[in-house]
Amino acid sequence: MNNMRGFYFIVFGILLMHNISAQDKYLTKEGFVSFFSHSIVEDIKADNNQVLSIVDTKTGKIAIQLLMRSFMFEKALMREHFNENYVESYKFPKATFSGEIRNFEELDETNTISEIVGILTVHGKEKEISSKVTVIIDENGITLSGDFKVEVADFDIKIPAIVTNNIAKTIKVSFELHHEPYN
Amino acid sequence: MLLNVGSIKVPLITKDLKVKGRKFKIIIGFFLTAIIGLIVSLYYYNKPHVNVEKSTAVYSLTAQNLIKEYRSNEKNTNEKYTERVIQIEGDVYEISTLRGNTVVTLKDSVSESSIICHMQAEDTKKVLSLKKGARVTIKGVCTGYLLDVIMVRCILVE
Repeated sequence: MNNMRGFYFIVFGILLMHNISAQDKYLTKEGFVSFFSHSIVEDIKADNNQVLSIVDTKTGKIAIQLLMRSFMFEKALMREHFNENYVESYKFPKATFSGEIRNFEELDETNTISEIVGILTVHGKEKEISSKVTVIIDENGITLSGDFKVEVADFDIKIPAIVTNNIAKTIKVSFELHHEPYN
Repeated sequence: MLLNVGSIKVPLITKDLKVKGRKFKIIIGFFLTAIIGLIVSLYYYNKPHVNVEKSTAVYSLTAQNLIKEYRSNEKNTNEKYTERVIQIEGDVYEISTLRGNTVVTLKDSVSESSIICHMQAEDTKKVLSLKKGARVTIKGVCTGYLLDVIMVRCILVE
């Protein structure tokens, strides 16, 4: 829960400071995050188009928050199992990430590749992750995109033996966050 | 001799038929159970997503009241509304398109928060003809609260 406090500190810190230096904050409420699980039995994919993300360009710090129930699956049953049995959305409705984009001040039109590092919290469990990220900064805002892999077991998510072949042990997470200036 | 053979064979055949009949019934029963099981599990596996249009809203309230509830107690409000079909009345603050679908934002006049409604594709035309500031009623599934209340699979009621 320490991380949650850190997250809120960043979010509210960023929001509160916006009067003083609004030009440093970039925000999206319509960010895209999806995950993909490949197994011999079936492929499972889910998209979330309602991701909240805030970037502070002064420090390169980033805070991301999403609702587990906003993940849309191909099949209603997958969504039901995901929320009720695996990630227990009634107990842990959100997933959060708080971290920073490395060497943010050095990024420009030609140098667009960086690394994003921080703490990902899913199912109430924290895990430090890092991901390669493409950062595009232009007049419309800041776009971050990339993908990384997470282990299901790291988040204490229990998959019943009967469907163990349906769900991959390693899940690929992709993201595309188009931040606009916050004012 | 012939008669003798006949009298022995006849009862033997009927007994044989009886056994065969029972085996046949067991096999048929097994297949029927398997087929029914398969149909049920296929139906279950392909269970459709919630039909918002045909569902009756569990709660019906104004945008302002929903936001007020979320801001006063997020946890309890979340338990009350998430995964439920709810109907919200409010003023259109913004209409946008996102990856092919439309999004209607209903704003509360008092606080900074809003309700972000992700609309179903069937309603795109109707949504795009809406005017900013118009009073609308939207029905959808609530997924929770970040800085705003989020609703998915929404349709325009009026």
